Amino acid sequence: MSQDFFLAATSRTPEVSIYPATHSAVMSGECYPEDSEKFFTELNRAVADYFAQGASSLNFEIKLVYFNSSSARALMELMDSLEQRSTEGAKIEVRWFHDEDDDVTKEFVEDIAADYSNLDIVLIPTLDS
Amino acid sequence: MDLAKFAQLREILPEDRFMLCYSGYVSESVLEAVGGTLKERLDLYLTEKKKIKVVFSIFVELMQNLIRYGSAGPKGMHIPNEEKAGFGMLMIIEDDDGAISLLSGNYVSAEEKTAMESRLERLLVSTSDELRDLMREQMRKPPELKSKGASLGLIEIARRSTRPIEAAFVPATNSQYFFSIKAYV
Repeated sequence: MSQDFFLAATSRTPEVSIYPATHSAVMSGECYPEDSEKFFTELNRAVADYFAQGASSLNFEIKLVYFNSSSARALMELMDSLEQRSTEGAKIEVRWFHDEDDDVTKEFVEDIAADYSNLDIVLIPTLDS
Repeated sequence: MDLAKFAQLREILPEDRFMLCYSGYVSESVLEAVGGTLKERLDLYLTEKKKIKVVFSIFVELMQNLIRYGSAGPKGMHIPNEEKAGFGMLMIIEDDDGAISLLSGNYVSAEEKTAMESRLERLLVSTSDELRDLMREQMRKPPELKSKGASLGLIEIARRSTRPIEAAFVPATNSQYFFSIKAYV
């Protein structure tokens, strides 16, 4: 069995867990890293490792209370890579939780999802923080 | 700074409202320290969760703009350590009507001023739908064109601001300009 991946939250980065046994991943907390390239490189590598170990499906829950504009671009790039994997046959569902009154986040997710034809992104307007 | 000048500060700064000011070099560690204080104070002062979040997100974008685009400072002083830093001023203050204004300012060269003016043009006059389109367009720009057009940070500030953002350039010393920007929550 593949190893679980766990990244502890810091004051500026979210907690990330990837569980190969249940084909699931969760990212929760705040995201405005001091060095966003470093944080997202590590995250992208963990996602790549997960699929490299033979996984063909993933349920990804994103529960970010807050993310800054440079993280927004990196998150879009992560979604782009998941769209690519979906196109290649992986079965991926992203459940993106946001505050009900946070229109900017809702519109951001809607706008990136509109560019995808295979990746399934579901917006869920509830978020405990 | 003599005491009389210092006392003048009191005249322009209200004493009994929410206020946070910072002036000097801004680095990621300054952002973290000031941001921690801001969060604690907002939690005590505001009851509306959404408002706290919007103030904090505009604060982060303003501070990161200062880090990225702040020049070496009014007198061309060198940045004190190796950490990436820029010189700037930030004020978060409650206005008479209860709205919170967030202002930041930094020095720019004449060339930077010209480049920024054309980028700001669209941001200052756009509707929320236009800002959404602008964000989408800028997000999807290929890497070589990312530096062209308004930064994502500025678009984010304009989108989160509850009133249109304002910006100004004031001539300063050393043929620089003091650029300031204001958002509301």
